[in-house]
Amino acid sequence: MAQQPGARKYAVIGSAGPPIDAVERVTGQAKYVGDLELPGMLVARVLRTRHAHARIVSIDTSRAEALPGVKAVITHKDAPKVPIWGNRTYALNEQVRFAGEAVAAVAAIDEETAERALRLIDVKYEVLKFVLDPEAALQPGAPQLFADGNLEGEPRRLTRGDVDRGFAECDRVIERVYHCPTMWSGGMEPRAAIAQWEGNRLTLWASTQAPCRVQTNMTAQFNVADSQVRVIASYVGGGFGTKSAAHVDETITALLARKARRPVKLQYSREEEILDSNTRFETRVYVKIGVKRDMTLHAMDVKAYINQGAYHVRLGGLGNQSSHIYNIPHLRTVQYRVHTNLPNTGPTRGVGDPQETFAIDSAIDEIANEMGWDPVAFRLKNVKRNGDPIARGGSGTEDGRLVTQVTDRCIEEGAARIGWTRRNAAPGAGQTAPQARGIGLAVTERGSGGGLAGASVTVNLDGSVVVFYASTDIGTHSRTTLSMIAAETLGVPLASVRAVAGDTEIAPYDGGSYGNRVLYSTGRAVDAAARQCVGQILATAAPMLKAAAADLELREGVVRVKTDASRSLPLREVMQRRGRSVVGDGSVTQSQAETNVERAAGAHFVEVEVDRETGKIRILKYVSAHDVGQPINITVVENQIEGGTIQGLALTQAEEMRFDPRDGRCLNANFLDLKPPTMLDFDPRVIEPLVVDNVGEQGPYGAKGLGENPCHAGMAAVANAVYNAVGIRLRRVPFTRADVLRALAEPRQAPSRTA
Amino acid sequence: MADEDREKPEHSVTRRAFLKGGALATGALSSTFMPDTAEAQLPVAVEPDPRRTLVEMKVNGTAYRKEIPNRTTLLQFLREDLTLTGAKMGCDRAQCGACTVIVNGSNVYACTTLAVEASGAEILTIEGLATGDALHPIQQAFIQHTGFQCGFCTPGQIMTTKAFLDRVPRPTEDEARRALSGNLCRCAAYKRILESVMTASRLMQA
Repeated sequence: MAQQPGARKYAVIGSAGPPIDAVERVTGQAKYVGDLELPGMLVARVLRTRHAHARIVSIDTSRAEALPGVKAVITHKDAPKVPIWGNRTYALNEQVRFAGEAVAAVAAIDEETAERALRLIDVKYEVLKFVLDPEAALQPGAPQLFADGNLEGEPRRLTRGDVDRGFAECDRVIERVYHCPTMWSGGMEPRAAIAQWEGNRLTLWASTQAPCRVQTNMTAQFNVADSQVRVIASYVGGGFGTKSAAHVDETITALLARKARRPVKLQYSREEEILDSNTRFETRVYVKIGVKRDMTLHAMDVKAYINQGAYHVRLGGLGNQSSHIYNIPHLRTVQYRVHTNLPNTGPTRGVGDPQETFAIDSAIDEIANEMGWDPVAFRLKNVKRNGDPIARGGSGTEDGRLVTQVTDRCIEEGAARIGWTRRNAAPGAGQTAPQARGIGLAVTERGSGGGLAGASVTVNLDGSVVVFYASTDIGTHSRTTLSMIAAETLGVPLASVRAVAGDTEIAPYDGGSYGNRVLYSTGRAVDAAARQCVGQILATAAPMLKAAAADLELREGVVRVKTDASRSLPLREVMQRRGRSVVGDGSVTQSQAETNVERAAGAHFVEVEVDRETGKIRILKYVSAHDVGQPINITVVENQIEGGTIQGLALTQAEEMRFDPRDGRCLNANFLDLKPPTMLDFDPRVIEPLVVDNVGEQGPYGAKGLGENPCHAGMAAVANAVYNAVGIRLRRVPFTRADVLRALAEPRQAPSRTA
Repeated sequence: MADEDREKPEHSVTRRAFLKGGALATGALSSTFMPDTAEAQLPVAVEPDPRRTLVEMKVNGTAYRKEIPNRTTLLQFLREDLTLTGAKMGCDRAQCGACTVIVNGSNVYACTTLAVEASGAEILTIEGLATGDALHPIQQAFIQHTGFQCGFCTPGQIMTTKAFLDRVPRPTEDEARRALSGNLCRCAAYKRILESVMTASRLMQA
């Protein structure tokens, strides 16, 4: 921790402790959307196609509509021809592009009636050919999902130096392919929405990370002003990216409510949540990497195919980990974002960074081992350090300067904690027992924040404080950390602050809870709003204390003269004499003109035990070293690191969505077959968060965002540790026991191609 | 709400029974909560509907009696009929544990237990765990360690912990891991959940 006991720089920031809404969460009082009930509310159910690709020839809903208790039925004919967030398509489409896509929806007096009605809807399809593989989808003659082809936009390219010359100058070049299939995303709470119209005014309760984005989509769908749409997301049962943009369920619910003239609730089943939410997109990453004998990373060529499935919210592909982490004079990356007939994809914790880290940091490790170099030393030689040039945007031009960067310290401190010197000195050899141990690492990073951020702070007449923000607390405990920022800036005890999350009507526009942004960006807005409050409070108190406002301060809920603490007034008294609330309004726009680039590094070290007889990979010790800047709440930080680390590990073990190649249907849209980890799958006690001492320069109080990063490095770190233990390379996740046994049975990899 | 909404289409037989039985049957068909003291006066449907059953159970110390469709799950009964929404629907097929409640001392998945199966039982849900404003030691421990993130699975985690610690008051950490392995936490706050269980065990001994 940054602060020494007894020498605390801050009153509130940097402390530990439970979230301020803990009691609600442990008593069942926290109300999630599914827990809400409105008078006269109807239940909605959705009819989904079993075809991976088809055109609807006709839909007859007359029998469903005639069923007593049915209040509304909608099809693609009812859906506004307005794209859902980022997509080229609508809430309900005439051409369906994945098995599980919605084709109609019903609102009825109860769930059973709604489900009976679904069975009475008669849909006639023209079945179309489908394609599931992203590279196959780009071949001539492949089934086309969209009139303008399967490729989404222009390939994203980044070029630096001269890659061909660079490889020619290398002493060793290897080429590898790393594959992450479509993986489950989502949280414990399936998607849910309640829509209520009062005249032309819509209130939508939604399980979303981004109420303002949903609001923007609703105003577009229904052609009304922002003032006519209120989106509320109080408690949200996990997000992880799947709820970070508007989705079809919100529009479907609002359409049904409008047609039925009654409030409507739509709750996805778990199967629907898995099929029709956002999945983590499949990536196939081709990496060519070249080094010089002096241990410098000299050239890299990365070609990635991103399987966007049928629909994608257009929020990111890979994140250029190669460009951001390592100094590489000759670098070329290209990303093909391809549509196939798989379910929706979208950002999932880390977006493309986990998949990319798996590829880049496996390749880094492979070439280091081939050269006989210490993988830690190789990385330390090549990672970007504080002050190094870095690209500000997505281009190859390194027009910015990296500040407050501690990648090197994350590696060094992580290596010390795991006991790096204990690693298998002869990777893949030297151990004769069936169970072999090895240690591996992976390095990652991510920026924080972005987009428009806003928040307001109200100081009430009794001196109590409310923070209003329109993004949600999806389990990152932003209610707590934003309240801590407000308490610190105002100079009041945390106990007097409450935060109201996720209501677009009472809080200013704020992008949403995604991309490491709430603490970093919204936190700055809260800080700015609180500063405005302090200014107003001190101006109010100045005549009361017969002093200039500039000579006053607010500390621990008391306004006092800085030089004479005996002249003071409790905030409560100042506010009561003032007789008006104090309101502060803060907003922040991240500036692209900023040349100082601040990012947050992480290094994961894992010790594994590989059982050569069963193929089981056991995690013995896992050190997650992260730069979080100034921790706002150390408990929240550690909780995020621990949970994110297990989510990253989960990708090594299971959570692959499997599809029947014959019909494109998902074969395992349930927890039992997706196997998200339980408390037994990974021993949670072996995970050690390591917070590297640092203070940022752009976030509130020097904090950096964290939520995404701990999920990035697990796949690469485990793959590298398995190599260190038994000498096999796993280049496709999840690493099943069968994969391990198969790789162990194969002759050791042929020598790599040298330049 | 329009009249037809009170009559679910599949219950036409019941509706006829209702008409025949007149006012007397009203209580049996449309009652929601009946304290057990009123039991003796309760009228019986004239023509019993084989698809509906009168269930009685004590939930968080209060006795309830209600005629419900046989297919009603315990989770639906608790959430929709009794408005006890602490137990959550996470998967609806006994794969996640978010719906866990305690039936006669055992933790069960309420989503795959029929309410009629639980008839006559004593049920404890998250809403009944605290005593007034005094949190149960398990709840205190979950707060002390922040044994949660989004909180959606938390009621289930806590109720499983309650049944487990009542059965095994001083477990080892590995016993606790096994006992809690039927409750998924996607946020993966497992380290803190485990710490919460172990601390709760100590607090409950004290």
